[in-house]
Amino acid sequence: MNQSKKSQKNVNLGKDIPFERIRRITGYLVGTMDKWNDAKRAEERDRVKHL
Amino acid sequence: MIKLLYKRDGRLVEFCPDTLYCSLSCALQAADCHTPGLAQSIGEKAIQLLTQQQTEPVQAAQVHKAAYQALVDAGYTDAAEKFDAWRRQRTGARQADSPLMQAIHEITYVDARLSDMKRDNANIDGNTAMGSMLQIGTAGAKAYNAAHMLRPEQAKAHQNGDIHIHDFDFYALTTTCCQIDLIRLFEGGFSTGHGYLREPASIGSYAALAAIAIQSNQNDQHGGQSIPNFDYAMAKGVAKTFARLYKRHLSQVLEDLLEQENCQPLVEQALAQAAVSPRLETDAQQVDEALCQALCNQQVDASIAAKAVKAARRRATQQTERDTYQAMEGFIHNLNTMHSRAGAQTPFSSINYGTDTSPEGRLAIRMVLLAQDAGLGHGETPIFPIHIFKVKDGVNYNPEDPNYDLFQLSMKVSAKRLFPNYVFLDAPFNLQYYRPGHPETEVATMGCRTRVMGNTFDPSREISYSRGNLSFTSINLPRLALKAKGDEASFFLALDSMMELVSQQLLDRFEIQARKRVYNYPFLMGQGVWLDSDQLGPDDELREVLRHGTLSIGFIGLAETLTALYGHHHGESEEMQQKGLALVQYMRDFCDRKSQEYQMNFSLLATPAEGLAGRFTRMDQKEFGSVPGVTDREYYTNSFHIPVWFPISAYEKIQKEAPYHALTNAGHISYVELDGDTAQNLEAFESVVRCMHDSGIGYGSINHPVDRDPVCGYVGVIGDVCPRCGRRSGEALSPEKIEELRKKYPRVPSLCGCR
Repeated sequence: MNQSKKSQKNVNLGKDIPFERIRRITGYLVGTMDKWNDAKRAEERDRVKHL
Repeated sequence: MIKLLYKRDGRLVEFCPDTLYCSLSCALQAADCHTPGLAQSIGEKAIQLLTQQQTEPVQAAQVHKAAYQALVDAGYTDAAEKFDAWRRQRTGARQADSPLMQAIHEITYVDARLSDMKRDNANIDGNTAMGSMLQIGTAGAKAYNAAHMLRPEQAKAHQNGDIHIHDFDFYALTTTCCQIDLIRLFEGGFSTGHGYLREPASIGSYAALAAIAIQSNQNDQHGGQSIPNFDYAMAKGVAKTFARLYKRHLSQVLEDLLEQENCQPLVEQALAQAAVSPRLETDAQQVDEALCQALCNQQVDASIAAKAVKAARRRATQQTERDTYQAMEGFIHNLNTMHSRAGAQTPFSSINYGTDTSPEGRLAIRMVLLAQDAGLGHGETPIFPIHIFKVKDGVNYNPEDPNYDLFQLSMKVSAKRLFPNYVFLDAPFNLQYYRPGHPETEVATMGCRTRVMGNTFDPSREISYSRGNLSFTSINLPRLALKAKGDEASFFLALDSMMELVSQQLLDRFEIQARKRVYNYPFLMGQGVWLDSDQLGPDDELREVLRHGTLSIGFIGLAETLTALYGHHHGESEEMQQKGLALVQYMRDFCDRKSQEYQMNFSLLATPAEGLAGRFTRMDQKEFGSVPGVTDREYYTNSFHIPVWFPISAYEKIQKEAPYHALTNAGHISYVELDGDTAQNLEAFESVVRCMHDSGIGYGSINHPVDRDPVCGYVGVIGDVCPRCGRRSGEALSPEKIEELRKKYPRVPSLCGCR
């Protein structure tokens, strides 16, 4: 997450900042699904819970 | 007067007669009929021909045709033929380059979020300079390798998606991965290329050098790096730190109590006389008493000696714990932040631990778990290293076992941070190698799942240390099934033939790898990390030592394969489960036979398949259309897994997948998906892990959603609204609200502008 270093006293913080969703891809974690390829994204969408 | 020219790549440039004269001159020279001025005079004739055609700008093809004609008209037919042949070759080469040039264009200009090609490795930020350069290198290498490195049938199979050769860009360069024996590496110190690193003397240095070792090795290989004996190695650092701190604190306390300037010599003498080495917990009472006695023999008052020794132990223990924690924290932070792999990625790092029951080892394990729990600077979940906890009866699995508390702590941490994963040393196929007191016989894994344990090449060294995978290639099983059209016999014939092709390809690749020298691997071989590499001379081939590694045949999509062949997958019925097992057994038997035949380590891999997940499916959709349960999704199910979308209980999924672990000796993993709430229920979590253990799972991992709100720092499950601060994704909070939150939750990160 890149935080701008400008000093802005009265600006509302968090605008355009999304939640980070960490998921496991083929065994390792990726902090943002931005970097997942299309096939793995499709698979993650389909995942059901087992318990 | 011709002024403008369209080059073949479409660029519009100034027409330059000298360029034309130059190429004519080359052609004339090649035909041995060049004389000064001849090229120019023929060139001028060519230009006349062009001018008569009265097109402006001219096309490059027109110019070449005119030049050819001019040569023929002047009677230099030989030179004309040479000119023509050279132009054709240039055109061919340009066309061959074109897909590569297009790929480079995409890498350079397209945002990675819009380019699926740039996202085939989620660990690389394809939008940075170094990330892009790495991808350009990959594209170039792949183009070259496809043209020059493969037999025609292999190139065809790879290109059309019958097989997938993994890490194809590195084909001619290196091997996959290695389990780095840190204890051996550190003994006597080592070098990473420039300058020598002394054997570390404190837990801080042990941890720092561990990160350096991973990073150095990472630049010699294209896969991941793992430490099989993390706890045992760090334990040595803890011991050295404790001993040093004990001496220092004892000396300082004595200086205070005796009001002396320097009590170090006194302490040294006492230690020598008592002949003890203070250790964390072990023999604490005897050591302290012996030291006390020795101090008294040096004329120190008995009650002072007793106080000093007690204080020394207490302070040394506390500071050792702090130092160890900080060392582990620094280690984790380093592996998440330093893009030390090819300048573009953090290394794929893994650490295995859990079985060292010494007090030092236990401390290291506890601290690395706590550091993982704390996360990175703003509480983020660390992505690396992958933690693998080695579960073993009698060591940490049962309540009466010495490390059971650490097993429990590991689950608490895993429920929050997704690591550790669990490797089960009691699975029969792992247990067969295990010898107590010999940690090198404990199965360790690369985090991705690669497992190297058995050793057909050298059965006296069936160990995990200092070995790894050489290369792997995966087979498109679903496609073989689709082609077989329900005919089981013809499927197996085709599978057999494909496995023959792949094993030959693995051997061909090994041939390239085998001819490398130590200087191609300055760290992996140069520092003796790989088994027996320390016995190699500078001119020796690596062949004999590399044979300790594995050549792995992988597969993807067992579920879709079964559906294509028989109509259902193995989650749906016991009959299909038997069919699935028979299929995978067949492949395993093939690998075992090849191992015997070549005295190499052929093994069967449940391929991790990141980039591969979609590649095969896309191609098969084109050829076969959308076949229900097979090609109607964008991906194939990983290895032997029950499909992610199939409703099945954790217990049943584990039971069904476990037998496949036994068959896939090159590596395997099973995942269970929990929802966030269950993950907070540690009993439920433990029951899943225990179920894995009891079912004979080799390597297992529990997935659950881990979300984080960067604004308020909340880590947990977030639906649409953050449970801590109430904002939605992309919404802003006022500074007042953030201040309010920070009062309640000290770990709310400070974003600029807030204070």
